Amino acid sequence: MTTRPAGGMRLAVVGKGGVGKSVVAATLARTLARRGHRVLALDSDTLPGLSISLGAQVPDDVPLNAAAERNEKGRWRLIKGVGPVRAVQRYATDAPDGVRLLQIGKHDRRGLEPNRASHNAFYQLIHRLDDAPSLEDWVILGDLPAGPRQMAFDWAPYAQQFLLVVEPTWQSMLTARRITRITTAMREDAQLSLVVNKVAADGDADRVQEFLGVPLIATVPADESVRRAERAGVALLDLAPDAPAVRAIERLADELDVRNMDRI
Amino acid sequence: MKIVVAGKGGVGKTTVSGTISRALARAGHDVLALDADTNPMLGVSLGVGPEETDLLVAVRQGLETGETEHERSTEGFVERFGRDAPDGVRLVVASRIEQANPGCMCCGVSPEGLLNELESEGKIIVGDLEAGIGTVMRLQEGQADIVLVVAQPTAKSLNIARRAVEMTDDRGGRVIVIANRVRDDEDLAVIREAVGECEMVVVPDDAAIARADREGLAAIDVDENSPGVKALVALADRLAAMAVPA
Repeated sequence: MTTRPAGGMRLAVVGKGGVGKSVVAATLARTLARRGHRVLALDSDTLPGLSISLGAQVPDDVPLNAAAERNEKGRWRLIKGVGPVRAVQRYATDAPDGVRLLQIGKHDRRGLEPNRASHNAFYQLIHRLDDAPSLEDWVILGDLPAGPRQMAFDWAPYAQQFLLVVEPTWQSMLTARRITRITTAMREDAQLSLVVNKVAADGDADRVQEFLGVPLIATVPADESVRRAERAGVALLDLAPDAPAVRAIERLADELDVRNMDRI
Repeated sequence: MKIVVAGKGGVGKTTVSGTISRALARAGHDVLALDADTNPMLGVSLGVGPEETDLLVAVRQGLETGETEHERSTEGFVERFGRDAPDGVRLVVASRIEQANPGCMCCGVSPEGLLNELESEGKIIVGDLEAGIGTVMRLQEGQADIVLVVAQPTAKSLNIARRAVEMTDDRGGRVIVIANRVRDDEDLAVIREAVGECEMVVVPDDAAIARADREGLAAIDVDENSPGVKALVALADRLAAMAVPA
């Protein structure tokens, strides 16, 4: 029997749309799970992304819709008996390598309304994750939707470490700076780390790091395998387990594990 | 005429918006480029520069802190929250403000509503929408004459593009898919398969556009003859022809 790595992690992956947040989040989640961590992946995006990059089968219905109801005043509340632990048992779905995936309902042609319950349940649950001692040892890893908006509305209250994914373009760097400002204003204790993705040239990572002034935790090379995985809509780990981008994300997992050991 | 540009984050909406705005202006049209993204970046793709783009966003955010005064008229709105961009394009930032002040032009009106208010007689409005499909869904008749749905050859962007096309079709609106960053036949095939038989413009993967993104420049200023930029300029010509009744 392998020993389970000690200590939980509280991570949120943030950045501009299209920079590779979901690929980084999904590959990291599965890598940590393969090393024995219990991993809860949180997907609060109203657009599909994380489940595809995890390689998860996603049910047509949205299990989390059953977790909330309106009270007599029309306000949303969690149904009786449901807290974070039960939500992970009942409403999260299985993703490869034992990752548990909790997600809100996605935007479709009927809008967000049919999935309103899941959004409210999700928001209330993530604000109560600290109340669940049995989740203390888990890695909780959130993949946030693009841009600064959800950060401003406190959609990652559980996160202690924010992985700021940036590609070496100005749009991505400006977005990251906006997210950094909001995050540090809201959360004095937040630890931001920079993941520079799609690195193609010498100096890319330095340039981004200098502009943002956020400590670098990983650089991930531009990788043709990622392009192929994204085109096919499959998990990078399943299509190209030895790809340079996977190796880089494994090193990111190493670094997070080391930090975690130092902390505890 | 009112044109809106939609699609997943990172597919190149802003590059498309900026480049066609510049090309339309060069062809002599009066162009209003409306940045309706909550993470506004259109200034960068128009060639205004990254820091100048952020300054304009700060004026907008000043509404929330009281540093910027509210504005009730449409003209004043375009004046106060806008600036001139190269080739005579007028850029206006209209991102959603959370502390909305009802009845106020600059924040009581959603970007979609703003498309209703802005006078497009004799000019072309290019609206760079927020990523995703929410704004496309909320678009009402008369708010956009043409919806440009930008897609790239990835499953995630095509999932969104397909739904944006369906929603526009449901409303009876005109939609053109921009197949962006296309490298080979397989790229094109996956896009075609996802969006079906709708009108499509192919923009090849382009080193000049990539360089513009890296350097914070307008693609049209980096190389107006690169294959990607040329495809977008040709699209602008087609759009202009639709704007002028024959």
